[in-house]
Amino acid sequence: MQRLSVALRLAGTVVPVLMLSTSAHSSGGDRELGKHLSSECVTCHQISGRVTAGIPAIIGLPEDQFIAMMNGYRDKLRDNQVMQTIAVKFKDDEISALAAYFGSLKRR
Amino acid sequence: MTQSRLIFSRREILAGFSAIAGSSVIGAPAVLAQAKPQVVVIGGGAGGLTAAKYIAKDSEGKIAVTLVEENVNYQTCFHSNLYLGGFRDYASILHSYDKVGSNGVQMIRSRATVIDRDKKEVVLRDGRRLRYDRVVVSPGIDLKYDSVPGWSQAAEEAMPHGWKPGAQTRLLRRRLDAVPNGGTIVMIAPPNPYRCPPGPYERVSMMAHVLKTSGKTRSKIFIIDPKETFSKQGLFQEGWEKHYKGMVEWLGPKVHDGLKSVDPKSGTVVTGFETYKNAALVNVIPAQMAGSIARDSGLANASGFCPINPETMQSAIDKLVYVLGDAAIAGDMPKSAFSANSQAKVAAMAIRAELTGSRVFPARYTNTCWSLLAPDDTVKVGGAFEPRPDKITSTVPFVSKTGESADLRKETQAENMGWYGGIIADMFT
Repeated sequence: MQRLSVALRLAGTVVPVLMLSTSAHSSGGDRELGKHLSSECVTCHQISGRVTAGIPAIIGLPEDQFIAMMNGYRDKLRDNQVMQTIAVKFKDDEISALAAYFGSLKRR
Repeated sequence: MTQSRLIFSRREILAGFSAIAGSSVIGAPAVLAQAKPQVVVIGGGAGGLTAAKYIAKDSEGKIAVTLVEENVNYQTCFHSNLYLGGFRDYASILHSYDKVGSNGVQMIRSRATVIDRDKKEVVLRDGRRLRYDRVVVSPGIDLKYDSVPGWSQAAEEAMPHGWKPGAQTRLLRRRLDAVPNGGTIVMIAPPNPYRCPPGPYERVSMMAHVLKTSGKTRSKIFIIDPKETFSKQGLFQEGWEKHYKGMVEWLGPKVHDGLKSVDPKSGTVVTGFETYKNAALVNVIPAQMAGSIARDSGLANASGFCPINPETMQSAIDKLVYVLGDAAIAGDMPKSAFSANSQAKVAAMAIRAELTGSRVFPARYTNTCWSLLAPDDTVKVGGAFEPRPDKITSTVPFVSKTGESADLRKETQAENMGWYGGIIADMFT
């Protein structure tokens, strides 16, 4: 899955340039795309990493872990209607982008 | 510099930036400040406050954002039912605008009365005028006080609506607490479209919870509804049967044959089939329309709400105007804080792209509405939406199921509380 998503991104026209500049320590997700997409997530998941009640923190995670979780929701292996609904809309490159962006954030 | 000279094209602004960057003129920042595109945001709720923050923050100072809001604090309508039911205290649904400036948003504490769209100026109550390149209109709803025969604004103390935040929220709580054992509550539910589709029915659940836990189990709540069906109906009715057996009766239009009138002085509600006399509390939730500034500025159609472009939330009537939240006709999206917050992010992206040439991504919209039925028994409805030419269209809907386990319902309540913390952090910090 991971290899496939990288191959897809390399085939794209816009992403690779950005990817090269951010990929040194990551899976190569487009952080600018990730930042944009993240606005959908932070209605519930606090960007500071703070946790209120039943919504977990999603920043600073290893990218592989983040991607595996999102794929779990997308494939309905993980069980939460909200997250399944969110995840099913994302393509592989978008999940990688989110993983790269959220993975780069530190707890405040 | 004349007023009209303040309106720059993007090319002029970019030229200005490079000219300044290429020289070291003292006082250049002042020139820069004037050359910045101006965005005025009307209304500091889930739509307006989110839009103001994201435009200011993501444009990194390239756009001057002014938020016009008359209230000192923001009381959330969302979770006000939890206050009513005793699950939250009032202070926990009240939020200060003090830190809004930290994202670069300039706040003006006033009421915007009308938009002079010919001059591209927002007119404030005190007569001040704010020039704009783009204006975001997010005023929420106004109540149609004439939609319930016998009821009026003068009667909102006697028969509270509790559908706009502030004094009405607290009044409704006091009135609920004062209902005697055996007293009758009548809720007049609103016709579509209205703010918070599951809200009236969550409210009834909270009222029943208060009655039950204070030992007033001989009391009864009647819902007089103009709609044939309502949001999460099966889930609510299952919850009422389970937790509040015999205390809640929902009456659709075929059963009550129409609401004929209310009498605020005597607490009477007359329907085609029944007269309810001496009700201890009548909660009138009337028909609704976009906040007055949207209507007075010619942005609403005959429905009383504002048509928008599904791709951007841009007004279908004026391309320099964006309408968010409850005031907008957002297709399949319900009128909710979550929807308004989601729409604000789409609008913020579109506005930044127009004014600064920033990158554009396809619009995505999301919503979830949680409703508390009883302690640790919460249900949800929501989905993903995307723009289609005719409207914002639901693509991946979901809803809780009847008969779910207690553990799952408890988890859903924890999620509900977590979402509240999340959206408040997203709006205010």
